[in-house]
Amino acid sequence: MLRVENITHSFKNGSELIPVLHDINFEVKQGEMVALLGSSGSGKSTLLNLMAGLMKPTDGQIYIANQDIVKMSENKISEFRRKNIGFIFQSYELITSLTVRENVELPLMFQSVAPSIRKQKALSLLESVGIPDKSDLFPSQLSGGQQQRVSIARSLITEPAIIFADEPTGNLDSITEQEIIGILLQLNKTMNTTFIIVTHEIEVAEQMQRIVTLRNGYLITEKGSSTESESEGVASIEN
Amino acid sequence: MRISDISRLAWNQVKRRKVVTGLCMAGISIGCAAVIVALSIGESAQSYAEREVNRNFKMDEITVTPYASIPSQGGGGGVGASQTSDKFDPGRLTRQKLELIKGIKHVTVAAPFQDFGNIQMSTLDNKVSDVQVIGTDLRLLMKYDNTFKQGGPSDLNGMVVLNYGATVGLIDAETRKKLSKQVESDPYNTELLEKYNRLNTLPSEIYQQQIQLQSRLNDSTSQLPQTYVSSPFRVVGILDKKGSAEIAAYGKKVYLSLENAERLAKELHLNNGTVGQEGVYNSVIVKVDSIDNIEQVEQLIKKLTLSTSTNLDQKEQIAETFDMIKNAALGIGVFILILASISIIVAMTMSTHQRRRQIGIMKVLGANMRQIRNMFITEAALLGFMGGILGVLFSYLIVLGINQLIGSALGMGEPLIIDIPFMTISVGISFAVLTGVLSGIYPAISASRTNALSAIKKD
Repeated sequence: MLRVENITHSFKNGSELIPVLHDINFEVKQGEMVALLGSSGSGKSTLLNLMAGLMKPTDGQIYIANQDIVKMSENKISEFRRKNIGFIFQSYELITSLTVRENVELPLMFQSVAPSIRKQKALSLLESVGIPDKSDLFPSQLSGGQQQRVSIARSLITEPAIIFADEPTGNLDSITEQEIIGILLQLNKTMNTTFIIVTHEIEVAEQMQRIVTLRNGYLITEKGSSTESESEGVASIEN
Repeated sequence: MRISDISRLAWNQVKRRKVVTGLCMAGISIGCAAVIVALSIGESAQSYAEREVNRNFKMDEITVTPYASIPSQGGGGGVGASQTSDKFDPGRLTRQKLELIKGIKHVTVAAPFQDFGNIQMSTLDNKVSDVQVIGTDLRLLMKYDNTFKQGGPSDLNGMVVLNYGATVGLIDAETRKKLSKQVESDPYNTELLEKYNRLNTLPSEIYQQQIQLQSRLNDSTSQLPQTYVSSPFRVVGILDKKGSAEIAAYGKKVYLSLENAERLAKELHLNNGTVGQEGVYNSVIVKVDSIDNIEQVEQLIKKLTLSTSTNLDQKEQIAETFDMIKNAALGIGVFILILASISIIVAMTMSTHQRRRQIGIMKVLGANMRQIRNMFITEAALLGFMGGILGVLFSYLIVLGINQLIGSALGMGEPLIIDIPFMTISVGISFAVLTGVLSGIYPAISASRTNALSAIKKD
């Protein structure tokens, strides 16, 4: 499903090049739920943005569904993202002027899907994430947990091959955090959707099938994969 | 992306961002109202001028005369017109040709207007005036947009109809002579000139009065001036004046039937009694149902070997003048719209920056550059359209105010009423939408180029 090969990335700071990722290699299979764990500045968000095609790496290849997204033009990557990639943001990023249902339908609007089909799908997904009665409300009328559920429903509406979640529980209390993780696990199980979840919380990461750990731009452990590369405890990363 | 979705998202933004929407609409509406009012004033003034010119110059009429280059019996018009004994002159204006003209499509009325030129008219109390004497069918006068102020037409022997101009400025010969001398000796005396002009526009009550016409010609044998006086005529009708009293005073006409005209020609020795010869005319006036058909009818009349003249060139001159005025007015309106478009550009660009994050999210969710661009352009077009609608309302208020101002300024008569033609509304709204779209291009391109990643990065 996802293959990251020899990814290296640097940021420019004036004339100086600051390396943030060093020769990253890993693979995610269809239906896997992988946590990308690391402390602040470890390069995990940069890696997520590269995998989602929001930026291009300095070097290396990224394959999603056997297509090299690094070589795609901006318009092509937009189209690819529209069909194959879902997003869940830490701050939910819902459009405040649209209702809950319209927010969920939005990715399908960009695909010119008929309103009746969109509506049916959106209502079904809102039911899956446990807020079927909130479809006509506006985001400002919902709690943080409910807004994240809307965000999850939105990411699923295009039936993407892979969903990237950037700190999906970062803004939530521990009870709501567990509810959201529960929903993601449930969806992974029922819909066989691949999830890459960026987090800095070990408790969240440990609930995933695999953990890919980054430190200072290096991939230091892959826990749970068939080719587990290091037996070092993940807790030590935070130290 | 569906048009309905783009429109709905655009409407959503327009509805939500009330201040930006209000500012943009205000700017556009002023420009749109300027375009509509300017064009409406131009259109209304043009049609008003055309109506006035049509009333004074009768643009829906064709004056037909014998074919000028062929010597014609009774041809040329007026006293002393050339003539020939050739009965088969193809350029003659005969009764047969008149009947053919009457049968032409779009001709509403055609009648001879036998012109005897200017002849002195005198009343029983010795008041005199120079008038143009015309022999015609008196019953058809009303079909040439005439109405009777007093009396009506009559074919009886010795009856005449006067136009309003012929009833004004009748002064006794002595007074006229004296006043003319005074004016000649003191031409810059404004008081005297005013008195003279007042007398020239002073109406006399001559309905049912008797008048006489007289000509002064050189005797063919003695070569001495000889005065011929007609038998008395009774005034049985007076036509309403057209236009102002000053303008009406310039056209002094006496109409009489063709039979009476023949008698008059003999009594006054006009053209040795040949003008008004049975079945031959020196002038026929043809009225056409619409100005648009004038040229078509004129061409057919010319095929009868006759000369024609119309006042259509007056209309063309008016159209040319008003085209210039309208273009200038449109230019001013468009200039105001361009100024108004700046408000849209500024507001939309501000809006683009404020919505950077939202644009970023949309891009991450799969919107491409074209879709983002279309959303912003639709939003700008919608602002333009709404501004246009508001502009139409404004223009109605402005025109209402102008009409009241003109009405109260003129106070009487037929004032210039400005109305807003439907076409002008369409032009105004089209300009408003176009301004919106053009103003939205830069912000739309700017929005579509927003980098998704930098837009969604947390502040």
